[in-house]
Amino acid sequence: MSPVFLQAKSLTWSVGNARIVERLDLSIERGELVGVIGPNGAGKTTLLRLLAGLLVPTEGEVLLEGRHINGMESRSRARRISFMTQDLSQVFPFTVMEILLMGRYPHLGRFQKEGAEDLARARRMLSYVGLSAIEERGFSALSSGERQLVLFAKALVQDTDALLLDEPSSNLDIHHQDRIFSMAQELAREGRAVVTSVHNLSVAAQYCSRLVLLEKGRIAADGRPEQVLQSEILDGVYGIRTMVSPSLATGSLTVTVVPRDRGAAGIRVHLIGGAGSAVNLTRELYRMGCVLTGGIAHEYDSDEKLWKSLGVRCAAVGAFSRITEEQIRESTPFVEQADMTILCSFPVGSGNLGNLRLASLARRLVVLRPGPEEMPRTFLSQEGKELFEQACAGAQLLDHDAILSDLEQARDKAAAP
Amino acid sequence: MYPFRRRIARSQVDTIRGVPHHDAAVNKRHLLAFTLLPLLLAAAVLVAVGVGAVPVSPTALVRLLLPKLGIGSLPVPAERDVTILLLLRFPRVVAAMLVGSSLAVCGVVMQGLFRNPMASPEILGLSAGGSLGAVVAITTGIAAGSLFAVPILTIAGAMLSAVCISLLSSSRGTTSLLYIVIAGMALSSLFSGLTSALLLFSREYQVSQFVFWTMGGLDGRSWQHILYSAPVLVPGMVALSLFARELNLFTLGEEQAMSLGMHVETIKRVLLAIAAVVTGVAIAVCGPIGFVGLLIPHLFRFLVGPDHRVLLPASALGGALFLVLCDLLGRALLPPLEIRVGIITAILGSPYLLSLIIRIQRRNAVRTG
Repeated sequence: MSPVFLQAKSLTWSVGNARIVERLDLSIERGELVGVIGPNGAGKTTLLRLLAGLLVPTEGEVLLEGRHINGMESRSRARRISFMTQDLSQVFPFTVMEILLMGRYPHLGRFQKEGAEDLARARRMLSYVGLSAIEERGFSALSSGERQLVLFAKALVQDTDALLLDEPSSNLDIHHQDRIFSMAQELAREGRAVVTSVHNLSVAAQYCSRLVLLEKGRIAADGRPEQVLQSEILDGVYGIRTMVSPSLATGSLTVTVVPRDRGAAGIRVHLIGGAGSAVNLTRELYRMGCVLTGGIAHEYDSDEKLWKSLGVRCAAVGAFSRITEEQIRESTPFVEQADMTILCSFPVGSGNLGNLRLASLARRLVVLRPGPEEMPRTFLSQEGKELFEQACAGAQLLDHDAILSDLEQARDKAAAP
Repeated sequence: MYPFRRRIARSQVDTIRGVPHHDAAVNKRHLLAFTLLPLLLAAAVLVAVGVGAVPVSPTALVRLLLPKLGIGSLPVPAERDVTILLLLRFPRVVAAMLVGSSLAVCGVVMQGLFRNPMASPEILGLSAGGSLGAVVAITTGIAAGSLFAVPILTIAGAMLSAVCISLLSSSRGTTSLLYIVIAGMALSSLFSGLTSALLLFSREYQVSQFVFWTMGGLDGRSWQHILYSAPVLVPGMVALSLFARELNLFTLGEEQAMSLGMHVETIKRVLLAIAAVVTGVAIAVCGPIGFVGLLIPHLFRFLVGPDHRVLLPASALGGALFLVLCDLLGRALLPPLEIRVGIITAILGSPYLLSLIIRIQRRNAVRTG
């Protein structure tokens, strides 16, 4: 069996007493595009430097096809592994071409001049990253995004089996970001191993074949994007609330940060909605940190979709079907336990009459304006209108802002000792 | 091997059609550095040996040297002119060339190594160390006894600085460049303080002798000076030039240089050590001459580009040319009074340094604004 292409064994790197990378094991094969993710200071850059052989590990080792990377002659190592830094500074007026040709250093003899082949390769790589017409421009006169692309091209000019990229797209617009990661995918498909640190988790999910999540120098998760990008894992590592959902257009995972819980936990609110009437309130109350429940919704309704994506517990029936007595019974605990049940302003047809019955069972019902006397609400039947009036009988009638301030007061009261 | 062949082919057409071409630019720089500069330098040497209290024909040196190389038989110059040329002016011009080249090359190396266009041999504290050595030689009276006392102690002082710096900065295993700069500044202050302290306890004529030395001058430089300095300076400069490509990589940052397979630590120490010796010897020949190591690299980076494979030889020639011209100016400006070459370089160099700072500030303002 051939040895692992690039392997870290019990890798540790410490400065003083601080362990930046701690007892880390990792195996990377050719053909993989590995995204290293994690919060600032998790050790992403240090891990890449260790894998590139630029740092000597405090403990443990890095092996390239079974050979110790720190024991390799540095030029032959540089013919196998390239490393792209985040450092884009250059104080001297080198041209783009001169910078690119520096990438040939490990391939040239001590006093060998770059030949036509080296020049041709540099030109090819420059046009590959989409910057063919700038070879005689000054490197330091370029925008930081262009400089990043040139340094990426330089790594390609170096022509190595393993490419280690440290935040290659931090200064790029989405077009060039797509370009650099698509090229990284192509390089991996050619049988090279590409390891890149990425801050943007959605970008990492879209392009990488594998993600390694670092937390304080250790691997918190390692696997396919959908295995690593899970709210339960991310929330602990990043210390925030995240929401992971597949993009409607591409199906790749999108990680969104949910604003911080503002301490209204414990206030329970049940929303009775439909036809998108509960969307705004759902978002506001979720942000406020209320414990939300919802229903009874119809499947694929926009209220129901939002509730599901936020993880709000809700009752739902099939699209366009009628809410049955049994479903009302099942949902009754929601409205009985809720500190507030809000009846949103949805059109009432035959299918959702049950929601008005449910509303009348609530412990405390608030009807979102408009109320019974103000009649832009639509009712398809007289029965609906009557039921609505019954439900409103003992209820408060509040508009959107009044509901929010009512809940904020309740929150402040709960927070006071 | 890489996809998108078609796009590549199209772009190669682009580079031929009107877009500036790498090879053309390189050729232009080579022409300037390796043809124009040597010619200018030769012309400057001929003029420099002719100018002085007794004017000598510019062709006299050619007439004197060519037959010695076995070429042609030109009319030999007068006996008096031969003496003036061979014993006074030519060694002085050769000393100017040697020192100018050495300081310029060391300046290029320092700036590349530190990735800092403001770096120069002074940064390492080499000049301050050399001055301390010189003042020791002068105040102890050794200088009166031997011609070699000042040079040897100057070299010793510069080497002391270099050793101190490498000991200070490599205590942690890696030599951080910023750390070296700070160590150099601290050493400079220390040595300047010691120099002042020594002068405090010395006699008035010794003080004036030292002050005269610090102005930097080429008067009275003989073949003896060249004999002890050239065997160090020339191989030193050649050795530094062998690391031209490594200096290019240094400007990318040490991390990138290392990832390209360069032995960053070793090369850094070798370059620092050679630069220390070369600077020390150059200062020993004619006192601390400022601004050559700062001004020349800048000027030639502007003219021939930053690639050290061209920049190093170009700066060596340019530094020689610059110092020959400065010395010439000093002799020709107010005859029979000679203005010492260190004063000339300082007067020319300071405004240039100021304009450089202003230009850099402007560029930064554009960038951030």
